[in-house]
Amino acid sequence: MENSSKKLKAKDFITVGIFAAILFAVEFAFGMLGYIHPYIVASYVIILPLASGIPMMLFYTKVEKFGMITILSILLAIIMFIGGMGYLGAPLIIGAGVIADLIAKSGQYKSFKKIVISFGIFNLWICANYFPILVTAESYRQDLIDGGYSAEYANNLFAAINVKTIGVLVVLCFIFGCIGAVIGKAVVKKHFEKAGIA
Amino acid sequence: MKLDPRTKLFMVFVVSLIVMMSATTPFLWAIRLSITLIPIILMILEKKYSSALKFLLAYASALVLMFYFLSEQSEGLIASLLIGYCGIVVQFMPAIITAWYVVRTTKIGEFMSCMQKMHVPDGIAVSLAVVMRFFPTIKEEYSSINDAMRMRGVMLGGGNVLRMFEFRMIPLLFSCVNIGEELSAAAITRGLGGDVKRSSVIELKLGIADYLIMTFLAVATVIFVVFKYFL
Repeated sequence: MENSSKKLKAKDFITVGIFAAILFAVEFAFGMLGYIHPYIVASYVIILPLASGIPMMLFYTKVEKFGMITILSILLAIIMFIGGMGYLGAPLIIGAGVIADLIAKSGQYKSFKKIVISFGIFNLWICANYFPILVTAESYRQDLIDGGYSAEYANNLFAAINVKTIGVLVVLCFIFGCIGAVIGKAVVKKHFEKAGIA
Repeated sequence: MKLDPRTKLFMVFVVSLIVMMSATTPFLWAIRLSITLIPIILMILEKKYSSALKFLLAYASALVLMFYFLSEQSEGLIASLLIGYCGIVVQFMPAIITAWYVVRTTKIGEFMSCMQKMHVPDGIAVSLAVVMRFFPTIKEEYSSINDAMRMRGVMLGGGNVLRMFEFRMIPLLFSCVNIGEELSAAAITRGLGGDVKRSSVIELKLGIADYLIMTFLAVATVIFVVFKYFL
């Protein structure tokens, strides 16, 4: 990926794979809640950053080279596509990953401040999944209803996520990403650093 | 019947694509159903009867519920919960079934040599292989952690949500990290990450069944897109 001394090794790829799987498992567990009510879909921006803060902070302790966060975002994009979320959000997910990677790199992957911001940016991948809802709003709504959802669900979904609220959602996502990072770091310190794993 | 991993990947791709575009007319539903049936049939051919039956039942019951008992006007709590459940199943089941089939029937060696043939960068191939192998592990670890917690009296309902989450997440992460270390040791032993181009014992070859299935999937996708967007 980068120059030879900073080249990623097989071990790094495996670490990325493992954390991608964990992250997806967390996402999947909470993602299923969204079908209960559309407002929960909107509140992913709060739930997911908080929940994924712990594994991600553990992941950040293992990142030392450029590229790992980027690959993680590529994997997420692939998994999201396979999971039926569509390809529209994929460039955004990967974009968020690259930027997050660059920010963390500027702190040599050690500076906690940079890591917090980096994780906040990384979380924007959650918003990327809303992207199809925004861009194809009209046809998406019709699709939902034709696809068997009730009009009530569709209306609520679009009340929660539309062009006006997306700004708020992005900001919330970032803020809760930072909070999640702080909480996650505390938990990692409490459990993993003592055990010598992080 | 042995399918080439490339066919399986193509199948995953097609199914995800079709799942994404919602079916609106009975004809589109027919295409979608027939595409969902392929992995189920393949599963039966691979002698995974119980899972095939389970998937089939879940999918069929959700479809029946959705179309005979729920409508656009359904309101109220039970209806919305049901819609939630059926929504998940109908929307994502095809993708889940296909992914399950591919993960269960593809050996990691096959997958890697397939990735190499398609010239996917090593980094992504290795990470994807790990993700693939890891889902069953996470599930297994989680259920044993759950058992252990129950044995010590840490129940799902007891105590607050945060502790519940912490008590499951932390041990899970611990075991995942440990398994990861073992996995990378094993991978390095097998020459992953060396500078030399890896060779593979498994010779991949596309057979008649592969071509048939790929053609069918491709044709189905084209018809689906044409009928949905252009007619």
